[in-house]
Amino acid sequence: MTSAVRILAVWLTPAVWLGMSALILDLGPDGLWIGLALVCAPLAALGFGARAREAMPAGEREPLFTVVILLLTVGALLWANLVLAGDVAAWLGGPRWRGIVVAATAGWLLAAWRGARRILTALALLALIGASVPLVEAARAVGASPLRAWDRVASQAAFRFPAVSPWVTAGRDLKMARGRAPIVFDEEHRITAPLGGILRARTVDGNRVADIDWELRPGQSVTLRPGDEIERGSPLRLRFEAGKRVPGAPASGVAWAEARSHDWPRRAALFFTLLTGATAVLSSGVAVRPSRIVVALVGGGLVLGFVWAQTWAVYSVLGAPDLFLGGVTAERLIEPPSLAVAGTAGRRLLQAALLAAALASFLASSVALRERLGALDRTGGGEIGYDLGLWASVFGVAGVASLWPVDPWWLSMLALGGAASALAPSTLWPAPAERPGAATTAGLVGLGVFAALVLAAELPAGGGLGAAALSYPAVVAVPAGACVLWITGRRARR
Amino acid sequence: MRTVTNRAKGVLVLLLLLAGFPLIGALPHQLGAIRVAGLSLLWWYGGIAAPLAACIVAVAWLSGPQAGSFDGPE
Repeated sequence: MTSAVRILAVWLTPAVWLGMSALILDLGPDGLWIGLALVCAPLAALGFGARAREAMPAGEREPLFTVVILLLTVGALLWANLVLAGDVAAWLGGPRWRGIVVAATAGWLLAAWRGARRILTALALLALIGASVPLVEAARAVGASPLRAWDRVASQAAFRFPAVSPWVTAGRDLKMARGRAPIVFDEEHRITAPLGGILRARTVDGNRVADIDWELRPGQSVTLRPGDEIERGSPLRLRFEAGKRVPGAPASGVAWAEARSHDWPRRAALFFTLLTGATAVLSSGVAVRPSRIVVALVGGGLVLGFVWAQTWAVYSVLGAPDLFLGGVTAERLIEPPSLAVAGTAGRRLLQAALLAAALASFLASSVALRERLGALDRTGGGEIGYDLGLWASVFGVAGVASLWPVDPWWLSMLALGGAASALAPSTLWPAPAERPGAATTAGLVGLGVFAALVLAAELPAGGGLGAAALSYPAVVAVPAGACVLWITGRRARR
Repeated sequence: MRTVTNRAKGVLVLLLLLAGFPLIGALPHQLGAIRVAGLSLLWWYGGIAAPLAACIVAVAWLSGPQAGSFDGPE
């Protein structure tokens, strides 16, 4: 049981399970496929583990390179989740640092407690219960089963601002709309700045496009026409009109439910990154392949998480179509802005339950990630997982870095891609026994290629394949590392 | 040898399950959009059927024969 929970906690960090729900909402079927890939990748990777170990001489120590790379990966995954904690705090109206400090301190304190592994299952159960309560509450508020709710979302003629939306009643800071989609209006829309400020907009008049700065007095309104776009990032509180289409939302429910992806090279590259990343994070240096019962529990947990992500996405958007404003981000799903739950008490219960679920899941992940690293430290008895100084540094650096908002999903993919580039080649194709150093060489080559492509990501990518390689550099870096191992293997046989 | 074959089979089936999704989406006449019990065929497949099938495939073909800890001593 604990083994399965560890695997689930390593893979399903809050940045991943909340990100999965946000992607389903943001991309429709494309996001659903990414969720399916998140289920399939770790299951496939679990079958790879023992292969490398079978080729490894008994009693051999894990190379330092593997330990260092996994430590960096764990640090990056914690960073992604602390960024999310900061985003959640900002979304709920507090300062970013508060969310980061709470999460980082709790995670570090657990590092000081050697018995933390014993509460791993309890933390996972708490996360499960905390995430389920809002589902029940939302189903009751919306008055529909999950299937009926999906049908209603997919039948919407348009996604419009509800009258109870905070974006309509009091208005919200435009900086909170941190999604990827541009805030482009589909119909005439009057927006008001309750506190005044400068509104930057790009207006379209026939073929003429103009960038305009409006200096608005408190309470002053401006009417934007179809095709006009407002720039995000200005520190400006804005109020939108009730009943108008949400800028950035899909054209209709059908458009959301049946949207087709035309970027399958990028999707394939994402799956490759997930598969090899899962292989590196879950299977490198693992001594045994998980038993049937462990795989069944992991599979069940993954399916449960995936179904939760879909259901929560559907209920959230049914109750709060304003989630789409400027593109969906994970932190908004902690408190969908206008989800019509019964009064303030119901709303607080929903928010508290989801916050508790996210914190419990983060703590479970931080314990499981440390345990995962400690399992490689066979000669030190797993001491590295409880080194207070080391983990204070990891949480401290990740916490400070989290003060700057970055996309947590992108950071998670970066962490998995880096781990894949350095560790997946030697896990999948073990180095010859007479040249054990080849695994490190291959890892360094893979990591070098990965780093070069991450840095080159700003360059023009050209076609679909080039863009896929720059977005998910592991598709080039892993084969590069594998080539090194292949060449070494051939030389060793001569 | 049999174990390796089972692993390869398992991984291949998982890849096929993933590849089935865009194929259903690309069916002519928007067949994937047909709704059954309120949910479209594409979403039935991607959200329910394929993940459950993936779970069964992993248990049948990708698990190890022995009981043991995945990542170190309990």
